[in-house]
Amino acid sequence: MKRIGLGLCGLLAFAPHPAQAADWKMDPAGSKLEFIATFEKTAAPGEFKEFDARLRFDPDKPAGSSLDVTIKVTSADMSIPDVNKEIRGKDWFDYAAFPQAEFRSTDLRRDGKRYVARGTLTLKGVKQPVEVPFTWTSAGESAVMEGEFTLKRGAFGIGLGEWAATNVIGADVKVKFKVKLRKAG
Amino acid sequence: MLRNTADSWGAPAKLFHWAMAALILAQIALGVMAASWRVSPAKIELFFWHKSTGMLIFALVALRLLWRLANPPPELPSGIAAWERAAARVSHLLLYTLMIALPVTGWIVNSASNIPFRIFWLIPLPAIVAPDKPTADLAALVHGGLAALLALALVAHIGAGLRHHFVKRNTVLVRMLPGTWRTP
Repeated sequence: MKRIGLGLCGLLAFAPHPAQAADWKMDPAGSKLEFIATFEKTAAPGEFKEFDARLRFDPDKPAGSSLDVTIKVTSADMSIPDVNKEIRGKDWFDYAAFPQAEFRSTDLRRDGKRYVARGTLTLKGVKQPVEVPFTWTSAGESAVMEGEFTLKRGAFGIGLGEWAATNVIGADVKVKFKVKLRKAG
Repeated sequence: MLRNTADSWGAPAKLFHWAMAALILAQIALGVMAASWRVSPAKIELFFWHKSTGMLIFALVALRLLWRLANPPPELPSGIAAWERAAARVSHLLLYTLMIALPVTGWIVNSASNIPFRIFWLIPLPAIVAPDKPTADLAALVHGGLAALLALALVAHIGAGLRHHFVKRNTVLVRMLPGTWRTP
């Protein structure tokens, strides 16, 4: 009887903590948000240098979780000076009118080994439903969420006028992210 | 007749000459248009074709030089003055130098500008210098200057060919024409 009791105690020690969504804050140093466009069918990588993610999430019980990402669009860097100058303009990101983009989701679900955050992306003033798949790796007080998905730049009016044609600059833009998080409070 | 002889060019040498002549003329037109076009998808397309054609010319000139090493060119006919021989030597050396230097400086511009590029959408072109705007600007300036020099060298080359034919009335021009030309 005593032995069984001890055994139970041991089991309990290794059991998951009671389901409770934690608040997570982003660690900018370990985080990266990339967008990969194509240029004459060749990958042209870019990066938003400044962005922030806030997450309320319980990997074991994702219902009730929420994800809130703010992207400083004006921090976009495609590491080509001429291109960086061009993308500020009205035909592309239109820094002056739309300096910020947002992704908000209150619908996070488990999908096999990964998760999916369904939400709304507001980019260049256009709101579109977007599904963001991600993997979750946590170790104690820190965690990493990583994933990628593809957007159609035309849906957000990125590349207007003659740039709407997709033979030179492709329609698809791959978004790739790695977000390092720390448990907050 | 594949190999060059003492007084005429073989078929491969002629093919190299005329294929590259056509490519180089197209290349100059593409380069001038690409550089002067306003920023637009058309400009990117022009640069794409200019860069692809440039790397094709670069590959062809390497093969052409190998072929030339294995096949000494025909001799100049008699009745050519020493200064004309010297001018021919210098101008051909200049043409070959430019056929190498232009693709190389163009490659430097592309690398320093950090623009992703695949030759004819197929072969990724590796960077030969690190991304750096001043390097790109300088290389572009040199590239443009060399292109102007090439245009001058081509005028001299074509003028000299015509002079051989119409003034000196020798076989230098016709022996480079496609097919077999009876030497007078």
